[in-house]
Amino acid sequence: MTTALLLVGCVAIWAFLAWDAPIDRYQGVIQKILYVHVPMAIGTYLGFVCTALGGALYLWKGDERWDRFALSSAEIGVLFAVLMLISGPIWAKGTWGKWWSWDLRLTVTLLLFFVYVAYLLLRSFTEGSERAARFAAVYGIAGIALIPLNYFAIKIAAGRSIHPENLGGDSLGAGMRWPFLMGMVAMVAVFAFLLVRRMEIGRLRAEQSRRRALAGREEAPWASS
Amino acid sequence: MKILWTLLWKDLLTEWRSRDRLVAMLVFALLVVVVLYFAAPPGQGDTAREHIPGLLWVAYVFTIVLGLSRSFGMELENEALSGLALAPVDRGWIFLGKAGANLALVLIMQAVTAFAFALAFDLNLWPIALPLAAVAFLGAVGLCSLGTLFSAMAVRTTNREMILPLLMLPLMVPVVLGAVQATRGLIAEGTVPFSALQLLLVTDGVFLIVSFLGFEYVLDE
Repeated sequence: MTTALLLVGCVAIWAFLAWDAPIDRYQGVIQKILYVHVPMAIGTYLGFVCTALGGALYLWKGDERWDRFALSSAEIGVLFAVLMLISGPIWAKGTWGKWWSWDLRLTVTLLLFFVYVAYLLLRSFTEGSERAARFAAVYGIAGIALIPLNYFAIKIAAGRSIHPENLGGDSLGAGMRWPFLMGMVAMVAVFAFLLVRRMEIGRLRAEQSRRRALAGREEAPWASS
Repeated sequence: MKILWTLLWKDLLTEWRSRDRLVAMLVFALLVVVVLYFAAPPGQGDTAREHIPGLLWVAYVFTIVLGLSRSFGMELENEALSGLALAPVDRGWIFLGKAGANLALVLIMQAVTAFAFALAFDLNLWPIALPLAAVAFLGAVGLCSLGTLFSAMAVRTTNREMILPLLMLPLMVPVVLGAVQATRGLIAEGTVPFSALQLLLVTDGVFLIVSFLGFEYVLDE
């Protein structure tokens, strides 16, 4: 309960700061979408890095908790990616005049989104939790290993990027830095909260299926032989 | 390492006797060429012809995905896949044997498709035949290595035909982009851009290493 209250407080401060931030002279009010879009992008990449990390640790240690960590991270990463892919084009339409551009960073992120949707589908199509965990771990690691290659490939194919460069403290106007920073903090907090809850659900599901399997063996002892 | 040659020989011999996978790949590739010709008829201007290398690689990619989906399918008969998994050898060599056999089929398909493309789109590929073959080979190495790894996973899933393209296509992008750039350079100017060659070589290396190491975890009893 305390965690949930802290989280709501964090998000409320972020929302207030974003509301209160000055309106950009050139882009107008639509610029405020970036206070949501950029933290979503951070959450997306955090999810995908955690998926690969969890997968690698699962293959190394064989502990199913790492697999739950990887799966939960992938699900949250995909959720954040969907929100980022919705908020980005709305901002782009208002600023660039078009919904989408086959720009370097956009394309790499879109491909990464497809990789992790495929990751989740692979898990749901694979029977046996241990096998699904192994396959998904290999795929998750391959997905993250290819990010630099995708960057390089799309750079030579698409040319120069029109996406804004990484926003540093100096590149933001007066009063815009705090909503951004608070957005990052709030998004990492939301990510951590969802991760813990989702891992707990995963643990309970695993326990339930173990109990069911055990009850089935007790009811039909010949089936276990 | 003996397992590599044994598997390669076994797969190629099986294919030679049945010819079902190669014939299916060739027919599919030719159908794709026909569909692409009518979907994007070649114009006379340079801009219209700029898309031809991309279309050629689209035909290759679709056909490779189709062909690789059967790569491990035949190993399911008589539990041959379990036999492979239980063999007391490094699984990386098993991967290389399977990937090598896939590569051989893909190279034949690429040669026939390029010939069909040249006829359909009125291209003179003879002067660049050798470098084009080298580019096709580099592209095929990357696609077959990753495809063989994912095919070994897909065969153990409930929706194997559906999952393989979903797994392969997003990760194939660097190879396809490198190969398209290289082919475009060859057709337009007779030379391969260095950046495209660099991308193909690096991607092939990374795909081979990831697949060689990852195969250890995807083959199970």
